[in-house]
Amino acid sequence: MLILTRKLGEKITIGDEITVTLVEIKGTQVKLGIEAPKHIEIHRQEIYERIREENLSSSDINNSDLSKAIALYKSSGLSKGSKREKN
Amino acid sequence: MKIKTTRFGTIEIKEEKIIKMPLGMLGFPDKKKFIILQHKENSPFFWYQSTDEPELAFVITNPFLFIPDYKIDLKATLKEMSWNGEGDNSYLELFIVVNIPKGMPHKMTGNFIGPVLVNSKVYEAVQIVLSNSPYTHRFPLFKKN
Repeated sequence: MLILTRKLGEKITIGDEITVTLVEIKGTQVKLGIEAPKHIEIHRQEIYERIREENLSSSDINNSDLSKAIALYKSSGLSKGSKREKN
Repeated sequence: MKIKTTRFGTIEIKEEKIIKMPLGMLGFPDKKKFIILQHKENSPFFWYQSTDEPELAFVITNPFLFIPDYKIDLKATLKEMSWNGEGDNSYLELFIVVNIPKGMPHKMTGNFIGPVLVNSKVYEAVQIVLSNSPYTHRFPLFKKN
């Protein structure tokens, strides 16, 4: 890992298109400003990981568990079933 | 056109009805085309089936069935996707990805911080990442348990 020391307000450039600015330092927290082209997705890592993991395990759901979940849903009184008309 | 799926066999679908996801689902950036299939009639759950990968399908549902006042700010997403439709949002559909721990359907959860927004006018979709959200990625859908 490349480690650089920066002072408040200083920047790091990554490639031609990405700039990271150290915007604020407060105790153990730092605030970073990131400028990058639209096609580069920037996320807090823990949020990204959570969503990625939920996607991954959702893609592993089996038919029988889902059928049981539907039965549970119908008996739970949450709704009278849902329709999706557009298709 | 015909689409192969492991769960539903081969499906015939009009090409223009395929939902394009320029950024893919998080963790699956190279799968960019999907269709929505209902699991069973009157089921609140749908399969978000990849048309590139027969085995890949996520289970999604309508978040408002479980959190009726679920609220997220779509402004940035609409701008990013260039979907600004002069205040008309009727062509937008919101889904969440759900999960079932193996063999425990009563423990089903929904991910309310990574909803999928589908634009049924242009057949495009995007998974939204909610960073500062009051919601959780594992919200129990059946509260009793």
